[in-house]
Amino acid sequence: MATPQIPTPVEIGRANQHDVKIRWNDGREIIYPARRLRLACPCAACVEEMTGRRMLVESAVPAEVHPLSIHAVGRYAIQILWSDGHQTGIYTWERLYEMAGQLPNSKIER
Amino acid sequence: MPTEDQVLQALRQVIDPDLHRDIVTLGFVKDVAICEGAVKITLELTTPACPVKDRLKEEAEQAIRSIPGVDQVNVKMDAQVRPTLAQMGSMMIPGVRNVVPIGSGKGGVGKSTVSANIAVALAQTGARVGLMDADVYGPSIPTIMGITDAPKPGEKGIIPIEAYGVKVISMGFFLKPDQAVVWRGPMLTKMIDQFLGGVEWGEIDYLIVDLPPGTGDIHLSLCQRIPLSGAAIVSTPQDVALQVAQKAVIMFNQLKTPILGLIENMSYFVCPHCGQRENIFDTGGARRAAGRMNLPFLGEIPLATRLRETSDSGRPIVVSDPKSPAAVAFQQIARALAAQVSIRNAEETAAEPVKITF
Repeated sequence: MATPQIPTPVEIGRANQHDVKIRWNDGREIIYPARRLRLACPCAACVEEMTGRRMLVESAVPAEVHPLSIHAVGRYAIQILWSDGHQTGIYTWERLYEMAGQLPNSKIER
Repeated sequence: MPTEDQVLQALRQVIDPDLHRDIVTLGFVKDVAICEGAVKITLELTTPACPVKDRLKEEAEQAIRSIPGVDQVNVKMDAQVRPTLAQMGSMMIPGVRNVVPIGSGKGGVGKSTVSANIAVALAQTGARVGLMDADVYGPSIPTIMGITDAPKPGEKGIIPIEAYGVKVISMGFFLKPDQAVVWRGPMLTKMIDQFLGGVEWGEIDYLIVDLPPGTGDIHLSLCQRIPLSGAAIVSTPQDVALQVAQKAVIMFNQLKTPILGLIENMSYFVCPHCGQRENIFDTGGARRAAGRMNLPFLGEIPLATRLRETSDSGRPIVVSDPKSPAAVAFQQIARALAAQVSIRNAEETAAEPVKITF
């Protein structure tokens, strides 16, 4: 029952003006497009708690949405303050790593 | 005359059994002074509660004595508790090096008695210790620590009350006996913020947090607010308690808070009249569970009337009856816990924490 070894981020920074870049400790470097990350918000206002149904309406999110700041949540996640005022989502390492697989630009750099 | 290089070379033979590296690489060796055949060094350990302190001192002395030309050896022992690396990024409690919550899952397993005695036992080794009673519903730390004063406001926050060398804060300080806390989640989160950032903790090596039972708002808030060094989990030996303790383990795993180990309370009872041992709640269950879950086992505390009496009268057993079996158990557990914190912190130094530059 010791913590299962999933990759953890080494560095979380900017890919450009808006997008987030995460370097993982397995060598992967992933760029998370800002809007895509906002739409993936896992908070209870964006995703229905029991069914997992997405409640967030895409058209309600500004096209130019981007993070204003990012801070660590304990040892396991980050919280993002968005330009549209939203900030309740907690993005766990698992969720972010899982997302990486669905992004077109993931590449392995060692 | 021996050289400093020779001394360091000899000390490289001394391996810390917990950290599995030699004491020179670990940076323990300070102030090497050589005068003719006399060698003086200071060993700065990562905790004053080090369980292998005497052994390291002896081995260091022997290693230096084996250098040709040495006729006098003086090894001074010192300790500097290192912070959880991730903690250095947190400005919420800048002087606190390690935060160690003590949880249980199930209620009534003696968590508060265990927390209080571990805190006092750590302070007795010379560590600077804080004790935060995060059990708002049933704050029993003031009773166990014998505190009846109310804390006073300081310049930057509440001044914790000192008892038996431990700085204590508790919701119980702010309640009358006929008052109960009936709060929803957001209030509990605010209380955790207050107890962390709104208290003048000062310089603290170990902040022990007595958690309420369960896996709720307070646990989640604490794990989110600050990077914790790791949690210890108390259980009684019987299956029904261990099943719930396992839920606490799962919660801390989910929140990526390391588990420093399991503690078994009410492990057995020795009849004071006939000396026969009775395993009232079974025994060894927590040790077996730790083995199954691949977690460290920190120790077991017997059931004893003295232990209950000392808790109720506000004089923790490690102070009032330090030679009793229960007190000795607490002292050993405190040292084992401090060793686990050092081990985790050493591992993390190797790993480096996440850097956020957005």
